[in-house]
Amino acid sequence: MISRLTKRILIGALTLLCIYAITFAMVITTPGNPFQMSERNMPPEVIRALNARYHMDQPLRYFFEFLGGALRLDFGPSFQHKDWTVAQIIGQALPVSIVLGFLAILIAVLVGVPVGVLSAVRRNGWFDLSTLGFVLIGISLPTFVTGSVLLLMFAVWLNWAPIGGWGTLGHLPLPGLTLSLPFMAYIARLTRVGMLDVLGSDFIRTGLAKGLPARRVVWKHAFKVAFLPVLSYLGPAAAQAMTGSFVVEKVFSIPGLGQHFVDSALNLDRGLIMSTVLVFAAILIAFNLIVDVLYAAVDPRIREAA
Amino acid sequence: MFRAVIMSCLGLLIATLAWFGFAAPRPRAEFVYVDTSGINTLDPAQLSWVPDIRAALNLWEGLTTYNPQTLEPMEGVAYFPPEISADGLTYTFRLRPDARWSNGDAVTAADFVRGWRRCLEPGTAADYAALLYDHVVGAREYYDWRNGFIQSPSAAPESEIGNRKSQIQRHAGEMDERWSSVGIEALDPHTLRVRLKHPCPYFLSLTAFATLVPIHESIELLRERCDGLPWTPGFGAPGVQGLPLTAEGLVVYDPQWTKPDYRAHGYPGLITNGPYMSKEWTFKDHMLIVANPHYWNRAGVGVKSVDMLAYGDVNASIMAYEQGEVDCLFDMTTSYEHELVRLAETGQRSDFYTPPVLGTYYYIFNCQDTEVLGRRNPFIDARVRKAFSLAVDRNAIVEHVTRTGNPPSNHLIPPGMIPGYVSPAGLDFNPEEARRLLAEAGYPAGEGLPPLDLLYNTGFLHERICQVLAKMWERELGAHVDLTGKEARTFADDKANHNFLIARAGWYGDYLDPTTFLDICITGNGNNDCGYSNPAFDDLMRQAGSESDPQRRFGLLAEAERILIQDDFPILPLYTYTKLMAIKPYVTGLYPNPRLFFPFKYVHVAR
Repeated sequence: MISRLTKRILIGALTLLCIYAITFAMVITTPGNPFQMSERNMPPEVIRALNARYHMDQPLRYFFEFLGGALRLDFGPSFQHKDWTVAQIIGQALPVSIVLGFLAILIAVLVGVPVGVLSAVRRNGWFDLSTLGFVLIGISLPTFVTGSVLLLMFAVWLNWAPIGGWGTLGHLPLPGLTLSLPFMAYIARLTRVGMLDVLGSDFIRTGLAKGLPARRVVWKHAFKVAFLPVLSYLGPAAAQAMTGSFVVEKVFSIPGLGQHFVDSALNLDRGLIMSTVLVFAAILIAFNLIVDVLYAAVDPRIREAA
Repeated sequence: MFRAVIMSCLGLLIATLAWFGFAAPRPRAEFVYVDTSGINTLDPAQLSWVPDIRAALNLWEGLTTYNPQTLEPMEGVAYFPPEISADGLTYTFRLRPDARWSNGDAVTAADFVRGWRRCLEPGTAADYAALLYDHVVGAREYYDWRNGFIQSPSAAPESEIGNRKSQIQRHAGEMDERWSSVGIEALDPHTLRVRLKHPCPYFLSLTAFATLVPIHESIELLRERCDGLPWTPGFGAPGVQGLPLTAEGLVVYDPQWTKPDYRAHGYPGLITNGPYMSKEWTFKDHMLIVANPHYWNRAGVGVKSVDMLAYGDVNASIMAYEQGEVDCLFDMTTSYEHELVRLAETGQRSDFYTPPVLGTYYYIFNCQDTEVLGRRNPFIDARVRKAFSLAVDRNAIVEHVTRTGNPPSNHLIPPGMIPGYVSPAGLDFNPEEARRLLAEAGYPAGEGLPPLDLLYNTGFLHERICQVLAKMWERELGAHVDLTGKEARTFADDKANHNFLIARAGWYGDYLDPTTFLDICITGNGNNDCGYSNPAFDDLMRQAGSESDPQRRFGLLAEAERILIQDDFPILPLYTYTKLMAIKPYVTGLYPNPRLFFPFKYVHVAR
């Protein structure tokens, strides 16, 4: 187990390095002046001074300096938001996104899994069909629609929640729910399919034939197996939710990380682009690792294989 | 194991909710406004974005300030008016002795010298360096001398690095002496003398601008000194022991000096001298400024606390405004903006304003006698440019495409905004004349024109305006124009490198004088993207530069503008920008004005 873990961590680090190299190459070859702030042209002397300062004229040096800095969690300055270092920007935004993403995933699991199980058990019944409809809506409606509708209903008409912002309890439910909807729908779907698969298998029939109560068969025996695909989905889903959603953050005016993925690319803010990509990749790799460990804990077959 | 994971998740959830549950909501400031994009930088030497300038103007105060309604210069840190020599070249400012920094220190002439020098030093200089080096004696020479020295030391071979160190030492030793020949001098702690190269009737407007403010001496604690301390985030190269320059020869400060709570190396946090001081600033979230208790005119400060929210989404900010969470919106650029403008124009919403601003939306022609994109450039012929300009029906664009109440304009300088300046007549839509000119230039009914290309940056309404323009040119002139949309940065690069035939452009004036617009058409100007060059125009601009009689000067400048909009047409103006904004009726003292500068000290709120 330990050696397997070490190996996985090493592979993860290598993956990160590759991602960094590819991102760096893309960022450095994108045309445009990364220092430009407004529509006016910068004096050439100023551009030269900035290039000299940040060693933009020496890509190889910049590559290793940024990498060295990143290892110390110092991602250098933001070229667009000059008063902030990239580490500060991420340091302010990431916790916000993690809290929101964690909340969203939790809601998604707490609602999605029972819905999936129940609709599998009552296959083709009214509950199954109506949740199927809900699931379809959840998957196909973009969050900027659901978010805006929720905002209009609960913040504007009912006045139960603030319009936007971050920092108090009232700021949590609407964006949390909005962000969780697509994940919730997908989890419900995965659980249902997994459950249907398992419910048809021999050991379930045996259990039922031996007179075990249906509830016990479903939750204790079938669910354990049916949950595995959900678990492997949860890794990337959690990483995605916790590194922020551009749309949800925009609709609810939340100072999270998602906006920086889009804005930094548009602004050609080199340090911020590479850092957000690295943070996202690192979190994704970490969550996949955690899920693998959990997998082994849940599924004895994997433990034995290891 | 599984149970443990679930339990710890629930534990985390409870902890999070508890954390948020106990967090008290931030108290509402007396005045709350939204600037959608937030603030890019507060460093006065580096700012160029309107929201940044707006915020900085309330935190710092220059020698003069803006009248909130007319934007005419009025008294600031210096008594008004200053002593101006008969030739208009020497300004002597007497600083009021009761002008104070937010920590109680007196504002001195040396603080102004420090702030202004930063605007010229490579490392801190930016877009507005020209405000000084265009006007002040010796500033251009100092700027060029410093920039001539800058290079990346590691670009030099290893053997030269040691040599470079002694070069930097010599250079650093010479800096103060060179600076002493620049016409910015502190005669005593309360007297600042500025010597100009040529008369500049709008100089007192420039001294009100956010770039030319004093900087408190505490910033020196954060200057990178190349002896390893203090350490600047980023990758400053190891420098030369004990020198005030980086190894590249730059003057560099820890960029975080603008934060109110930054405390590295004994730095006390941002100290400002304006009516307000910064209290909280979180990135892309909010900035709270409160009245500066040491401000010389503290009794005259209206609202005592101002909160700037950076709602990323205009819809959310409009909802917040409607709910009363926000008192004022300075940016309402949305897909349904024209509907809001209609509400304002029909009087259904008296709290919506659409002031015209000092900016022009226009298109430019490449005037350079070169092949562009591998094609012959037909626009080197002024007749072709004129034909393309006369073929455009501006009213149609304003009424059917933008629909946000923009005054159609055939001027580079928005008419009527600069007091005393009379705009020359512009030429209106005239398709017959356009066809005649095009035929005269050798392209009857568009025949023989090479494939043409219109470059624009994607987003906003540019694409739709470009489509309409192309349609008009096709209909009136028989010219076929392809559209090339590019992302903003690539677009800016192409434009600056004259890599286009026709391109979208826009320009906002920086001070109330025609030169803020006309300068961009001077041969060799850094923003002369059309590559336009006309000795007659340049000559008029030069004459105006040394003319001390304001009336005659405006006459010369009007003649210069006339060349642009009646003869040469390097530019094709479409309309004057407007800005839709919302101000609650209970807010007084906030005047929608052409520069969108709002001194909050005049604002009162009677909710």
